[in-house]
Amino acid sequence: MNIWESTISSWQVLYANKMRSSLTILGIVIGVSAVVFLVSFGRGHEANITGIFESMGANAIYITSASSMTQGITGATGSITLEDAEALANPNRAPSVALVAPLTEKLAKVVYGDENSTVDIMGTTPDIAQVISYPVEIGEFITEQDVRRGARVAVLGSKTVTDLFKTENPLGETIRISGTQFEVIGVLEEKGGFIGSADDFIIIPLTTMQSRILGQTSARGRPIQTIAVKAMSTDQIDAATEEVTAILRQRHNIREGEDNDFTIIDMQEILSSMREVLGIMQVFLGSVGAISLLVGGIGIMNIMLVSVTERTREIGIRKAVGAKRRDILRQFLIESAMLSLSGGIIGLTIAALGTWAITGIELGPYPVKAPMGIDIVIIALTVAVVVGLASGIYPAYRAARLDPIESLRHE
Amino acid sequence: MIELKNIVKIYTLGEVKVAALNGVDCNIKTGEIVSIMGPSGSGKSTLMNLIGCLDRPTSGTYLLDGTDVSRLNDDQLAAIRNKKIGFVFQSFNLLPQATAVANVELPLVYSGTGNKRQRASEALELVGMAQRATHRPSEISGGEQQRVAIARALVNNPSLILADEPTGNLDTQTSKGIMLLLQRLNNQGITIILVTHEEDIAAYTQRTIYLRDGKIVSEKKR
Repeated sequence: MNIWESTISSWQVLYANKMRSSLTILGIVIGVSAVVFLVSFGRGHEANITGIFESMGANAIYITSASSMTQGITGATGSITLEDAEALANPNRAPSVALVAPLTEKLAKVVYGDENSTVDIMGTTPDIAQVISYPVEIGEFITEQDVRRGARVAVLGSKTVTDLFKTENPLGETIRISGTQFEVIGVLEEKGGFIGSADDFIIIPLTTMQSRILGQTSARGRPIQTIAVKAMSTDQIDAATEEVTAILRQRHNIREGEDNDFTIIDMQEILSSMREVLGIMQVFLGSVGAISLLVGGIGIMNIMLVSVTERTREIGIRKAVGAKRRDILRQFLIESAMLSLSGGIIGLTIAALGTWAITGIELGPYPVKAPMGIDIVIIALTVAVVVGLASGIYPAYRAARLDPIESLRHE
Repeated sequence: MIELKNIVKIYTLGEVKVAALNGVDCNIKTGEIVSIMGPSGSGKSTLMNLIGCLDRPTSGTYLLDGTDVSRLNDDQLAAIRNKKIGFVFQSFNLLPQATAVANVELPLVYSGTGNKRQRASEALELVGMAQRATHRPSEISGGEQQRVAIARALVNNPSLILADEPTGNLDTQTSKGIMLLLQRLNNQGITIILVTHEEDIAAYTQRTIYLRDGKIVSEKKR
């Protein structure tokens, strides 16, 4: 009896017992759909989080003022100044630092014609385009000259452009930010849908930001929110962090033993610890699914044992007409593998529907992603077949060993 | 074709050893049609199982077509059953979920023969069951089921058909039809051995062997 014939005859047997077969595979269906769904969801989640961090720049560290809580009563927002940023850009004192971009952000009302929108305005310097990658799609980015002159020019994120200009070409048009007119000189490439605000912001020169939006009379000595620093390479992030700390402590006259009045955020470090947490979560979710697969496997073994007992006479007939042990063994193994595989396929279908249903739902700050990778599909089906074979071995072995005479007498 | 020499079969039931066959010597030639009779517990079924290669004797030798089959392993016996022997049972023993033609194909499935459907159909034709090919056992009468079972026994061109009370579940008229069919097959050269406890049925055979307490006690030729 060849495999193909065994498969067809197994299918007929399973189909003839539809109700029982369906109930038997329920455990596998639930197990596979749970594992695949949760792993896909977990992966999508990880991709979203990674995306957020990566959109904030690889090799980047961020220096912000320590929160007012730790600083005490005075000096509420900030100890970090533009001069600090300039000091960090000194290659002699901070050789591991590649680029420095000071930045200050504020939500402001932006108006173009009849359209208006509240957008995150980022005042910064041209280097930000390299620290956090901001490729320009059309037009140009802000320049050093724009920063020196305090030019009223703006570079728009792609979503901001769509919101304000619809399909119109924004280049050269005038928009009003907090009442001040700005000329649109560039549009950034779309960064993707990781976070809602990834493409919804406007970049203007830092000096213009301070004088026009924040109403500060001079850029000099004024606090800025953040200094974005790009290390020479990923390996030099730690060195850059040390150099930055040393320079800032000295500039802020912080004595030995005193706390920093600034905070350094290392994106890579946060990302890797987030990944670790997500990894543990995935293992946890996977094990829950694995337990349900185990239970499903036991269910299959149980039903296969019942089936062997019920079909003792059939086994006797088959043996009488010439079935060898391996024929019977194979028949029952294929049956249990098919049971489990069908469970796996149904489970995958449910998981696919589930991931499809939740994809795009706005959950928290970004739309849910749940990519069902081909690797998960293959692993899930393989595991289903292995579970089926494993739970079929003992029943099939019992069937193969049945004595033909006694089997034929069995009622 | 069949040579049984001093065949002993002992079953162990718990502590007790029961000799179902206690020294059976018997020869059956190719082309014979033989019946085995005897009271319950005389060892008829045990003898049929041994001749049918479903079981092995505790001692003694059994030559089937000159081959000693008494010491073969399970799989070798399965192969012999498949190629040389066809079984007909009192309770038909057809697979309930399979159609008549699929039941007849079953031995071919295990011999790896091609043309299964065609050969099965021919066998059904031979027993007059061609029109019932796609019926399941539950949809046809007992006599028809037994004819399908005979077609299954025939399909692999066996040299021997063993029938264990083939008419035990059938009425007289139907029984007659089955016996005539078996006689016809015998006329085509197939050796047939059948177990029965009805003299009427035994009357269709050339020779009757009487068993009692695991031994052959007498023989009658017709």
